[in-house]
Amino acid sequence: MRKLLKQTEFYLALVILLLSILITMYNPRFLSAENIFDLLKSFSVMGIMAVGVLFVLILGGTPDVSFTAIAQVAEYVVVIMTLRWGGNILLAFLTASLIGGVLGRLNGCLVNMFRVPTIIITIATSNIFFGLLYVFSQGQVIYVIHPLFRRFSEIRIGNLVSQHGVYFGLSLMPLIWLVVLILGWFVLNYTRMGRDIYAIGGSELAAERVGIPVRRTKLFVFTFVGVLAGIAAVVHAAIVQSAIPNSLVGQELDVIAAVFLGGASVFGGAGTILGTFLGILLLAVVNNGLTLLGVSSYWYNIFVGAVIVISITISAVQRIRQKKTRVKVQVDSEGWRV
Amino acid sequence: MRRRSSNATLYLVLIIVLAIMAVLNPTRFLRVRNFYSMAYQLPFLAFLAMGQMVPIVGGGINLAIVATANFTGIITAMLLRALSGGSPLEASTLVILVSMLGGVLAALLAGALSGFLIGYLRIPDILATLGTMILLNGVNIVLTKGYTLTGFPDALIAIGNGVFLGIPIPFWLFLAIAVVFRMIMERSVFGYQLYMIGSSYTASRFAGINTRSVIMGSYLLSSLFAAITAFVMMGQLNSVKANYAESYLLVSVLACFLGGVDPLGGDGRVSGLVLAVMILQVISTGVNLMRMDPFFILAMWGFIVLVIIAANHLSGRFRLQRPLRGLGQDSGLADG
Repeated sequence: MRKLLKQTEFYLALVILLLSILITMYNPRFLSAENIFDLLKSFSVMGIMAVGVLFVLILGGTPDVSFTAIAQVAEYVVVIMTLRWGGNILLAFLTASLIGGVLGRLNGCLVNMFRVPTIIITIATSNIFFGLLYVFSQGQVIYVIHPLFRRFSEIRIGNLVSQHGVYFGLSLMPLIWLVVLILGWFVLNYTRMGRDIYAIGGSELAAERVGIPVRRTKLFVFTFVGVLAGIAAVVHAAIVQSAIPNSLVGQELDVIAAVFLGGASVFGGAGTILGTFLGILLLAVVNNGLTLLGVSSYWYNIFVGAVIVISITISAVQRIRQKKTRVKVQVDSEGWRV
Repeated sequence: MRRRSSNATLYLVLIIVLAIMAVLNPTRFLRVRNFYSMAYQLPFLAFLAMGQMVPIVGGGINLAIVATANFTGIITAMLLRALSGGSPLEASTLVILVSMLGGVLAALLAGALSGFLIGYLRIPDILATLGTMILLNGVNIVLTKGYTLTGFPDALIAIGNGVFLGIPIPFWLFLAIAVVFRMIMERSVFGYQLYMIGSSYTASRFAGINTRSVIMGSYLLSSLFAAITAFVMMGQLNSVKANYAESYLLVSVLACFLGGVDPLGGDGRVSGLVLAVMILQVISTGVNLMRMDPFFILAMWGFIVLVIIAANHLSGRFRLQRPLRGLGQDSGLADG
């Protein structure tokens, strides 16, 4: 199993590498620091949310689809709050995480309370969050947001000069993404909570029997998804410099697809932070590459869709081949070997 | 074996919702005109929900359903333009029929891709249809270049927009198709086998059911419904676009769940689904009449589903812990 997982990430990295070489051959600007920084910045919102999605998918069962609605609510509320009362970026992050955490926890409570698939619960709550946001905001786009977001987005690390004489540097957004990735990696691999999440994904029944607090772990995961949605919301507001009530909703399935691409299993219990990062990176490289090659961005979805269909087909064919070579072991009704 | 759940809760909810809306809109709700507009709007969601019900009953899900509908619409519109020599408004009946046939074939092609990935390669349904969905969305955008295609002949528009004997044609279609759909799901061998597969994939295989072709059939049928939805949509909007009605994808799943279709597969009745769609439509029309924000409808729909989940929980339907079915290996929609 471990070996298979490593393979997914290996192949993914290989594909990204090949694509990068191909794009660079046609347009060497691809490998410029300016372009890479830009690419990472524009996909940091998706990347941050993807870490939360990974946690839910490891837990097993159906995906959470409400995180974009949660981020949308958090973004709008924080933008309005800062406009009205001012504040600083740290406070914005805290408030957004708090809002996200509360809404995520609500999902967790509902999932624990009713034995209904996560996707059903979260479609319902996502409709409620998004619908109420639209009712209260009346769909109004806020074009002028508090300058603290602009100040935050303009912070750069390093001061480089591009060929065209434009100053640039690494924005803080990809760094926040990196921090979230490291946090997720640490929680999944080095904490009891993380190991419990994998255990529940492997077999919920077994996890319950060995005394893992299944409900508490699920509550944590859904709260965590919400908190990350909140963080992503502030990053998004800083990047787009506005609050549009429907700018994030509708992306949820793309994020989920990227996490699946990164090796997460539909059955739970599998998936890594590295794979998730590579999944998002692949989307970013495809998106950026099309622009640099002068291909219309309309082709983006076709490429992503084709990559998904081809990769799942290859892994399915591999699995079928393995099954054929596997030795069959006869077991009786209680699972003992006979 | 399928368990036949009763629709008592749904009838009750429908009556309550009707009563609430009648009280909230004392002068406008109980009018013939209002029921006419409900009959006009309902078929769209109903066809989409039926198309979603088929794979869910078989233990899967079709996330590509709205993308397939848009694909059908776009192919039909493009064929119309090409075959009529650039003047689709004056297209002959033959051209219209051929274009529609082309649209249906396009939908079936999309369904065949999902069906092949799921039925033959055993790729989890969520994953496979997610791939098909993103692929189709891409094809749709490339074909239309992001533009809206508009201008269809009257005969095609009549499917979604016409009136026959004082009742909207889409509603007549809905009545006829609902009856046929019920026969397929609850009276035919295919339907019976689909419910079996949804209950237990492994058991159905051992029972000698050709799971591959039944699953393939379920995604083809689902795509056929997407095509019907597309024709209704074309008539009502008089245009097609790459990303129409995207928010209805998740609503179609919600409608199935509300209608008592087991999200894990193997259970659910067509009559329940029809009732669920009626409930959603009554809420939507009632909220519209109150001049509330249209997005309030989304919130109400979500809320009503949570209420039903809670009610079922209290009455014990979901409290019976179902055995962990092979830990979700039978269906991608494992218990979350």
